[in-house]
Amino acid sequence: MDSTVKTLPLGTKLMPFLAILQHDLRGLWASRLVRLWLAASALMTLMLSAANWPKFQDATLIASLLFPYLVFPWFFVVVVLGVSPVSGARAEVLADGILSRPVSRHEYLLAAWAARVLIVLGVYLIGTVPAIAVVTLARRPVPEDTVTLFGIISALGVVGLVLTFLVSLGFLAGTLLRKPLLAAVVLVFVWYPIGVVLNAFSLEEFSPISLSRAMTTQLRQPWRVADASSKGKVNAQDMEALTRQMDHFLSVFSNGQSRPVAAKPDFFESGGFRDFSLFRVVLGYGLSTLIAVVLSILFFHRRDF
Amino acid sequence: MPDEPTAAQEPAADLAIRTEHLTKIYGQRLIAVNDMNLQVPRGSVFGLLGPNGAGKTTTLRLLLGLQHPTAGRAEIFGRPCGPNAVAVRSQIGYLPTNPKLPEDLRPIEYLDLLGKLSRLPREVRQPRIASLLRAVGLLDATDQKIGTFSTGMCTRLGIAASLVGDPPLLIWDEPTAGLDPSARRFTLDLIRELGKTKTIVVATHILSDIDQVCDHLGVMHEGRMIFTGSMQDIQRRICRDDFTLELEGDPEKVGRLVRDAASLEGIEARTRDGQAVVVRVANGHSRARALADVLQLVDACGLSLHSVHSGQNATENAYLQLLQEDEAHGFHR
Repeated sequence: MDSTVKTLPLGTKLMPFLAILQHDLRGLWASRLVRLWLAASALMTLMLSAANWPKFQDATLIASLLFPYLVFPWFFVVVVLGVSPVSGARAEVLADGILSRPVSRHEYLLAAWAARVLIVLGVYLIGTVPAIAVVTLARRPVPEDTVTLFGIISALGVVGLVLTFLVSLGFLAGTLLRKPLLAAVVLVFVWYPIGVVLNAFSLEEFSPISLSRAMTTQLRQPWRVADASSKGKVNAQDMEALTRQMDHFLSVFSNGQSRPVAAKPDFFESGGFRDFSLFRVVLGYGLSTLIAVVLSILFFHRRDF
Repeated sequence: MPDEPTAAQEPAADLAIRTEHLTKIYGQRLIAVNDMNLQVPRGSVFGLLGPNGAGKTTTLRLLLGLQHPTAGRAEIFGRPCGPNAVAVRSQIGYLPTNPKLPEDLRPIEYLDLLGKLSRLPREVRQPRIASLLRAVGLLDATDQKIGTFSTGMCTRLGIAASLVGDPPLLIWDEPTAGLDPSARRFTLDLIRELGKTKTIVVATHILSDIDQVCDHLGVMHEGRMIFTGSMQDIQRRICRDDFTLELEGDPEKVGRLVRDAASLEGIEARTRDGQAVVVRVANGHSRARALADVLQLVDACGLSLHSVHSGQNATENAYLQLLQEDEAHGFHR
């Protein structure tokens, strides 16, 4: 950006970003897609809650409410929302109208991205938080569960992070391919078999299915465990696991042998998901989101309108 | 200019726009702008003229940083253009051809959004929006959504949008495209008015628009700038030695006029369509004197004079001549 802009007060400097964000949020909120998604997700939450009300414990019921956002069917809506602002003839004409003003490309792209993320997270939280509150506070004909506030917040955060990653992935695909339909189709073909791909790289714990299965454990996680993990011991295990995963990931490409892994209770067959690591998941999805956004900005910067 | 510069080289400080060897090639297939050197003086109303597909819009988009040049560079008020040249774009008010505006907004909301994009504080933004809407005659339409606007209304709003930041340079691409006569008249009057205080670039292929409002002209053909200069420069390029008299009266009297005029020294005369006489003045003879003599003959023959004009539009002739010359040059181009 020019030096004259750099010297402006923060409020003035952010004015175009906030204006585009506000404009996009307003447009998205008024769109049929978002309205329908909001109605459909509220309906699905209601149906899932009603159907499982007398059967599931708190953690299982909350995990079942999060499942549609993590796996199916809302993935497709999130991807379409992510793809749309930077691809397609109409979007490009409108982008043209903004980019011919004193706005830098990264300001425009980041504001459009932020608007999509906010609307997706907004719909997701509107659709889940009231239901979770009712589920945890109501007296139900099921045994008491040990769901914690930290567990709820972290589970909601993990799903929110995955949704943010999906929006960013849609953004990247839209920026690269420039045709919304093509980008959405490509992402469907990339995302649905993602479990198999992650399995090939020993990164199963990042797959939406695995995350969904780990939700019940995470929902019962007390704060002090997470606190302890951040202070050393478990964190070191996380780093070791991360290094092992990276080693295996690279060995797949180099066709070499990865180091032998010490025998331990299998994470996915134990059913308890005790070694689910919030740190690794946040790091994995956070970094991927960051990379997708940075790549989108780079590709968008080189684009001709 | 790549070929024969017709305009004097201006000092950089006096230029609103300067390009050096600006080139844009799409996908190694289409040369949209070809080695263009352009200088637009500050304070001028510059007409960018050329047939469809000549590269006018691409040139403007390169100046706005909406596209990356394949080679060369462009400067606006001495600053380089580019996708993140925010300070450059704050100096420009851009009106695209048939502007596509957000249909879900109302005019005030749209102009307010653009005011924020120009980083204008509310106390500057709001009064300016009100005065602009008044100036472009959209005060009665402030409660309508833009989606319900006609082409003319969209262009008027686009004009207001280009003026929100009060920029010293206006770049308007085909501002009269698709407008009815009154909207076209309004737009041309506005260009004339704004031209008193701002530099304006008007890209068009409508010659009469250029004739009416521009004082400088650039002619593009197949991506190249084949002429730049003042309107006088281009009109001087074609030496017009003839004028036409539109008459009313007996055809025999018209014939007599032609014979009498042809007998004058240095004058050739012929009839056209029975009621018009084309008079050609030979080199070295005064056109004014010849015209005066012929008008005396008209009176003497008892004919009624409707009009006197110099054949076709001078700019149109010059423009067509430039295009023909450019086509004919072949490899010399």
